[in-house]
This record gives sequence, C-alpha cells and structure tokens, in this order.
Amino acid sequence: MLIKIQIIVGLLSIILLFITFELIRKKRLREEYAILWLFTGIAVLVFSLWPEFLLSQFFVRITGIFYLSAVVLIAFFFLLLIVFHFSVVISKLTGQNKDLAQRHAFLELEFNELKKRYQHPDTIHS
Amino acid sequence: MEKEEKILVIVPAYNEEGSVGKVVDEVHTHLPRGEVLVVNDGSTDFTSKIAKSKGAVVLDLPFNLGIGGAMQAGYQYASEKSYDIAIQVDADGQHDPEEIGKLLRALEERKIDVALGSRFLGTSEFRSSLMRRMGIFIFSRVISMIVGQKITDPTSGFRAANRKAIQLFASNYPQDYPEPEAVVLLHQCRLKMGEVPVEMSERYSGESSITKIRSVYYMVKVLLAIFVDCFKKPPALEQEK
Repeated sequence: MLIKIQIIVGLLSIILLFITFELIRKKRLREEYAILWLFTGIAVLVFSLWPEFLLSQFFVRITGIFYLSAVVLIAFFFLLLIVFHFSVVISKLTGQNKDLAQRHAFLELEFNELKKRYQHPDTIHS
Repeated sequence: MEKEEKILVIVPAYNEEGSVGKVVDEVHTHLPRGEVLVVNDGSTDFTSKIAKSKGAVVLDLPFNLGIGGAMQAGYQYASEKSYDIAIQVDADGQHDPEEIGKLLRALEERKIDVALGSRFLGTSEFRSSLMRRMGIFIFSRVISMIVGQKITDPTSGFRAANRKAIQLFASNYPQDYPEPEAVVLLHQCRLKMGEVPVEMSERYSGESSITKIRSVYYMVKVLLAIFVDCFKKPPALEQEK
C-alpha cells in the first residue's frame, strides 16, 4: 500500500518538476516565481521516495501523523507559501499598474496639448 | 496676493455623462478664475467628450482605476502644474460649486491645509437612508477618536487642499475607501484640517455606489481599512523646493 502511494506521489512531483523546468526553459515562468515551485517539487519528491529521510522521520515524530498525511501537509504548506507570495506580487503589480495608468493619462494630455500648439501656433492661450 | 493663486477643480468622473457638463458649467460660473480638470476614470460613455466640449481639461485614464486612483491622478496633475489649491468636486452633482467659496475662505482664514465640506454641520437638511446615516455616524465617531478632532462627515468628497496637501496626495492617496482614509492619512502626516458646513443637493443623475444591502458590508470594510491604516507607516513628506 505504502509503496503504491510512494510511486504516485513521486511521479506527481517529478511531473511538477519537469513542467517547472520546461516553463523556465521556454521563458514562460520567471525564475523568481519558479523557485518556490521547484522547492515544492523537490520537498514532496524527497518525502515520498525516502520516508526514512531524517527530516521526514523528525516531522512524523513531532506531529504524530503518518506518512501520507505528512506528505500532503508539506505540499499544502508549500502551496500556502506560493499563494501568499502571489498575493504580494499581485499587490505590487496593481500599484505599478495604477502608477503607469496615471502617468500615461498625464503624458497623453501633455502630448495632445503640445500637438495642438504645434499644429495651430496662432491659437495659443494660457 | 490671493488673486494670484492658481486654483484647480478636480472632478473625478466615471460614466457621468448626464451630469458632468452641468457640474463643469457651474464651476466655471461660480469660480471663473479656477481651471476645471475632469478625470475620466475609463468611462464607456460620452463623459470625456462632454467635459471637453464644456471647456474642461480632461485627463483620460486608460482604464477604470476607481475613485482613489482617479483622485490621485488629479492631484498629480495639480502638483506637476504647480497649482496652489486643489478642490475636489463630485461629477454627480451632489456638491454645489457655489459652496467652493466657503472652502477657499476656510483654507485661508483658519490656516488649515485641507478644508472638508460637511453636510452635517450647520443648517443643511440632508435626506439620506437611515442605514447610510447610521454608517456615517459610526465612521464619524471612530475617525474623530483616531484623529483627535471632531469630524462629522468623513465620507464627504467635497474638499479643498493647499499646496502641502496636494504634494502629499500626489504621492500618497488611499485607494480603497479614499475619503475616510484620507482623513486618517492627513492626521498621520500632521496636516491641519477643518470642517466647513456646506449644502449638498440630490444627485443630478446616477445612483450612489453604496446600495442598501451592501452598506453594512461596506461599513465593516471601511472600518477595517481605517484600523489597518492606523498601523501603517506614515509617508515622509517631501520638502517643497
């Protein structure tokens, strides 16, 4: 039973790692975001294939939960980290997006003003 | 001296084609020496065209940013073009441009940085739903406590700001619930503010963005935002060149 789960979880994490690598290679995923995904894949892989691994033993002992739950919990923890990281990134992007929109509107207004003056130099006012 | 002051009236507008023209006209009538800037917050109707045809300067945002982002864009314009005073007037017509004079006088006479128009000071008979009045009452209490000064109408968007406040708002303006949060921000940056009794009329068109059902939810969110604001690091004020 345990070996079956180990194979499934191990395969899943290998697929995850493979996809992450592919996306980085094709430049569809920036390294800074990929790092958390890589860690997730590696951690789940290690914990699934190597239950006797010192850290996994330690984790099982302190939490008192058995192997599969430990793997799920670790994966969940990493996913939490990733989601949190994304919230921070989105907040930053939203702010930058707003700044750009405001700057864009201001420059467009200035540009139209200048264009008008350039095309009709006689009608300058203000 | 006071006649030399450059005054900008900022009118943030999102799909307000029914009323924006009238507001621009009224501001021109009651404040001929002021320039009108309509910030078109990504409207899908003729707001921008109508405002332009009425002789207002129109700042067209490429997409909808919300009232906070639009207002800040207006303050950035005021800052870049070195206006001395900026006045916020809603495009829906609930603020009477005739009352701008009161705000300007308060700025000058009371030596404050921001004058807040309040519909609850003075004689104005303002009808609004019970829920809404209750919400405003609670805000008013909470915000008065935070800023240590009586603020009767923290959600009012009818305000006048001097150069110092323009600079602050150009670089830092709250985005989520800008009116009450801006009051807290002003307090954190130690700018002086004061309330001025003004009349507010019914909207010319459009509906309040706060519906009855959502008002409780809105209130909780605003209170939460204000609570979080209290723990934010106040931005450093830029020194005037």
